[in-house]
Amino acid sequence: MYALVDGKNFYASCHRIFRPDLVGRPVVVLSNRDGNIVARSDEAKALGIGMGQLFFEAKDLCQQHGVTVFSSNYELYGDLSARLMSTLTHFAPDVEVYSIDEAFLLLEEYVGIYPTYRDIGSAICSHVGRWLHLPVGVGIGPTKTLAKVANKLAKKSPDLVCVLDTPELIDEALEDFPVEDIWGVGRKSAGKLKNVGIRTAAQLRDVNDDWIQKVMTVNGLRLVHELRGRPCKLLEVNPPPKKSICTEPGFGHVIPDLVQINDALTVHLSRCCEKLRRQESLCGAVTVWLRTNPFRKTPGNKQPAKQYSNSVTVRLPHPTSSTLEIIKYAESSLKAIFRFGYHYAKVGVMLTDLVPADFRQAGVFTAGPDERLIRLAKTMDKVNKRYGRDTLRMASQLYNPEWPMKPTYLTPRYTTRWEDILEVK
Amino acid sequence: MIDTIDPIPPENIFRVDPSRRALIPFWEIPVSAGFTSPAENYIQERLNLQDLCVLHPDCTHFVKATGESMTGDYIYPGSILVVDSTIPVETGRVIVSYVNDGWCVKRYVNKDPLVMLESSNSLYAPIYVQPGEVFKILGVVTYIVSKPPKYVRPC
Repeated sequence: MYALVDGKNFYASCHRIFRPDLVGRPVVVLSNRDGNIVARSDEAKALGIGMGQLFFEAKDLCQQHGVTVFSSNYELYGDLSARLMSTLTHFAPDVEVYSIDEAFLLLEEYVGIYPTYRDIGSAICSHVGRWLHLPVGVGIGPTKTLAKVANKLAKKSPDLVCVLDTPELIDEALEDFPVEDIWGVGRKSAGKLKNVGIRTAAQLRDVNDDWIQKVMTVNGLRLVHELRGRPCKLLEVNPPPKKSICTEPGFGHVIPDLVQINDALTVHLSRCCEKLRRQESLCGAVTVWLRTNPFRKTPGNKQPAKQYSNSVTVRLPHPTSSTLEIIKYAESSLKAIFRFGYHYAKVGVMLTDLVPADFRQAGVFTAGPDERLIRLAKTMDKVNKRYGRDTLRMASQLYNPEWPMKPTYLTPRYTTRWEDILEVK
Repeated sequence: MIDTIDPIPPENIFRVDPSRRALIPFWEIPVSAGFTSPAENYIQERLNLQDLCVLHPDCTHFVKATGESMTGDYIYPGSILVVDSTIPVETGRVIVSYVNDGWCVKRYVNKDPLVMLESSNSLYAPIYVQPGEVFKILGVVTYIVSKPPKYVRPC
């Protein structure tokens, strides 16, 4: 049996740990630049605040109903997520971290300790609630897909647990479960299925194997098998390291200037390289792209603005994780694709061809990466971890304190910074 | 006779170039060359304060005390409290809780149906929590980390 545990309104709940007065009151969390609403508590959902809605559109509504607004505090969420996942290993040895607030557990051997699956579910809810002060929902089923279905249904049940362990319960659950809510059914596939009259999960379960393979490929067939209770998706306990790392945040406003773009590129590249070193990989190629805002109108005449976008990929002479080395190639790539006279909206950078860090191969005509540079980069990471981000940085990173934009509704990082820990009287 | 250190002539002092280090093969044949350190087999690991103070790292918060209400329990302004959420809350335990729109550290006393939060400084009155009031317990204080007080010599 598989269990899917997920944090109920995870981001909002993280804030509520340290603000218990907000339990039962509407809370929303904003995206990185305070642009969109990325998380809502149930109370905020009830007010009609949409997921992904622009914040300035909802601002009046928030003020009217006394909604508490938080900027996203990913350091806090990340730490509490790690605590949640680690706590879950008390209940089952194999835990697959599926997202920041979701994990699959393999429950097979643990039935003996608790009399029923429902008891394990309740135990997980109550222990996580007491130990971490986080509300979680638990769905249990014979396959990952059915566990996901159960988890959806658990949100509606008062004790946040739903168990689908008998054929009758599964039948009943799938009978009126909408097909587009099934894990792995995208909007496109849902449309195709609805065209032939398949609207519920039960109908999808009973389709012909050959037909579904034709319509939704082998993944669709696996999905149908999973709905029938035959596990096809197994637990991925040790996820493989990411194959590529990439960022593309906007500037917030358009900028025409190469120096400023270069500044932004350096910042993003530094972050990517930090991630690269954290997962102990080296990258073999770097891609830089630049583009204007396709929706921009020229302020004077309201005509669509001139558009430009371009990208270039450079293969590095040898895999490396040193920011200093990669930035050389990234900067020259940027210079190669930069054209004057456009209002750029985004610059992106992607590191690809990742290999493990112990893979150091010198080419026939090229030396291997400079070990000293890699060590220097590691030292920089250590210094920045201790004294705060960007204490040591590239000189080309101009460090404009107004960029990136400071979030307005920032909360302390209660669990990861000494200067931010909770104070009591 | 006076012990002197044999001076080393400067021409005998070499700089080690770490980039040209070569691996030297290690032969596992015992060679008698005096004693090895008798302590070597006994050094296992360095002590870490975290192992002592934090039993459940996932369920522990560090919290800073600011007031003087708990000086009787050695909690002074600036003390760092180790707060464990897994320990059951019972009468007599020092807990960190949210009450009256703020976080506080107090001694928990169960006076069913009320909860009394006692201070250990006689200048502070106890707080009574009515049923239905917002009251949330973060955890039980298991360790207190403080600097020693500044010593003032009585004149």
